[in-house]
Amino acid sequence: MNWTNILNFSRGPLLHVAMIIFVAGLSYRLVRVLLLGWARDRAKNKGSKLWGVIVNYLKGLFVLPFIPWVRRTFRHNELTFIAGGLFHLSLFLVLVFGTAHILVWKSLWGFGWKGLPTPILAFFSAVGIISMIVLLINRLTHPVLKMLTKFPVWINWLVVFLPMITGFIMARHLWFRYEVIFSLHLISVSLLLIWIPFGRISHFLFYFFSKTIHGAQAGKRAVTP
Amino acid sequence: MKEKTIYEHLREKGLSRRDFMKLCGTIAGMMGLEFVPPVKALGKTLGQSPEEVVAQALKTKPKVPIIWLEFQDCAGCSEAISRSSSPLLSNLVLNDIAIEYHETLMAAAGFQAEKAKEECMKQFFGKYVLVVEGSPTLADDGIYCTVAGKSNLDLLKEAAAGAAAVIATGNCACFGGIPAAHPNPTRAVGVAELIKDKPVVNIPGCPAIPEVTTGTILHFLIMGQLPETDQLKRPLPFYGNTVHDHCLRRPFYEAGKFAGSFDDEGARKGYCLYKLGCKGPTTYNACAGLKWERGLSYPVQSGHPCLGCSEPHFWDGGGFYQGQSAPIIRLDKGSTANLVGVGVAAGAALAGLNAVKKSRAKKDLRKDQSQAPGSEPGSKKEG
Ligand code: HEM
Ligand code: HEM
Ligand code: SF4
Ligand code: SF4
Repeated sequence: MNWTNILNFSRGPLLHVAMIIFVAGLSYRLVRVLLLGWARDRAKNKGSKLWGVIVNYLKGLFVLPFIPWVRRTFRHNELTFIAGGLFHLSLFLVLVFGTAHILVWKSLWGFGWKGLPTPILAFFSAVGIISMIVLLINRLTHPVLKMLTKFPVWINWLVVFLPMITGFIMARHLWFRYEVIFSLHLISVSLLLIWIPFGRISHFLFYFFSKTIHGAQAGKRAVTP
Repeated sequence: MKEKTIYEHLREKGLSRRDFMKLCGTIAGMMGLEFVPPVKALGKTLGQSPEEVVAQALKTKPKVPIIWLEFQDCAGCSEAISRSSSPLLSNLVLNDIAIEYHETLMAAAGFQAEKAKEECMKQFFGKYVLVVEGSPTLADDGIYCTVAGKSNLDLLKEAAAGAAAVIATGNCACFGGIPAAHPNPTRAVGVAELIKDKPVVNIPGCPAIPEVTTGTILHFLIMGQLPETDQLKRPLPFYGNTVHDHCLRRPFYEAGKFAGSFDDEGARKGYCLYKLGCKGPTTYNACAGLKWERGLSYPVQSGHPCLGCSEPHFWDGGGFYQGQSAPIIRLDKGSTANLVGVGVAAGAALAGLNAVKKSRAKKDLRKDQSQAPGSEPGSKKEG
């Protein structure tokens, strides 16, 4: 066994299986939730559902992040909010505007777009990694948070951190031969993909789900979500 | 009678002492001694310059035969050598420093050629160098590649038995190459997978860089041993760095400036070819250092992404023009649709089954508790 073979295995069969588990697992979760059904909403239709949804997203993505102090999460633990926010921002930029990742999207959907310059990306992946470390320390030291953190939450942290750190090391060409760190990156990405349906990281799917439904419910009642 | 040394042979051919020393310098260069400190590459000779080491060897050693076999190949590596930028040098190596048996290039043909080879193998048993070009094939006892009625497996074993060292040249001989591409109908493999009891060195490439093949042959003739190699048995002087390590487009890579097509603004400005499928980061070869055509250029310099021709799975490691980070998923057309389809179907089926099972269980429970029906399905769970 040599690293060239390991790389080919991780770029090929391993990633393939991980993607199938990822898609199958998430659709399982989604269908399960849909099959639960939801209570008939007997409220009269006073406003627009669509409007409610739009307002809900705008508020969640563009308003609240900039006035965080109105929220309880922030007042209780500012660090979680700031580091968490920076982490999500970096993750988004790296996954959507990193040239290497754009090529992954392109191979999946058939089209790509322009990436961010590498130095900017390097900055954000560093920010993402530091935020994750801050979040970890926060969890380890905050007395209440520590008690609330069960085993799967540590796994969540690990499976997100590993791809971040291996990706960063690879893009800077530090310490490892490229095919070695490339393999490690892909193995950790596969771990992440496999783990997502089983854990809380699936929140990225349900976030949109709940945002849409709450928005629609509020819109129907003509109240601000 | 004592065997003539290479030096004596060259002097007889009219080479002056001065030219001889110049030649030794060139040879030291071809052996890749420029890339590594001689002490490390040769494992001895502190204080001696590489030329002196070479001169010493040529003055004491007799000519050694090279037997060159071809299996499943296109003869491209032989072509590359016979038309290399330094034909004089390769001629010299193959004719004056070594004697050669090469089925394609030799003048003799047919039974005559076979006889010459057998005699050579007998006379120099245990001394000759075996060079293999093209992949051996395992399927059906090797009948998919036969020469003079013998299967390639028999030919290889027979020739390797008396070899002092085996040099596999080109990706096919090293890792199976193109004949080994999916689905590999002839079960082509690399030579090193079959020859375990002799030192084997791999000179992969498509073709192998001619100067690297001759350089490695020289290394063996002169040092009496094969050069130090990496995990894949490739000589470190030539395969110690990736194409990416010494690439002249590297600053653009670092800055994130990529050509998006072969004729866009970026391509004209010489930007990095990563997005056009460059495999430079994982490809160990001397292209960027030694270059081709006497240092004139190499693929990436002339505007083409590296194909990764010196690596295993060269032909199956993702599309040549597809970015290296793209997953290698072999469903070809509609692979994403398949992936999503299979995933969603499996997930939904599971969830459906699960729900049916649960609702049955609940019904049973209700029956048991003779609870009055009527509440809205699912309403209790919501909240
Ligand atoms: C199929 C999935 C993926 C593939 C094929 C992939 C591939 C790559 C490659 C090839 C690079 C290095 C690019 C270079 O050499 O310049 C890279 C960088 C990186 N990757 Fe991934 N990646 C994948 C998924 C992920 C995921 C899920 C994460 C995070 C959770 C991630 C985080 C990173 C980071 C942080 C970098 C460094 C970016 C920079 O600093 O420039 N990757 N990835
Ligand atoms: C649209 C996409 C996403 C949204 C809106 C979102 C939203 C959130 C929110 C609101 C939280 C804090 C609440 C909580 O702890 O549950 C959170 C936490 C977290 N998210 Fe996301 N997320 C998204 C995507 C992702 C993705 C793709 C990943 C990983 C691959 C991820 C990893 C995490 C992790 C690890 C935490 C816990 C941070 C901590 O330790 O406090 N998120 N996310
Ligand atoms: S062109 Fe290829 S080898 Fe050169 S820097 Fe870009 S990726 Fe590396
Ligand atoms: S640039 Fe890459 S593909 Fe081209 S000859 Fe060199 S190693 Fe082979």
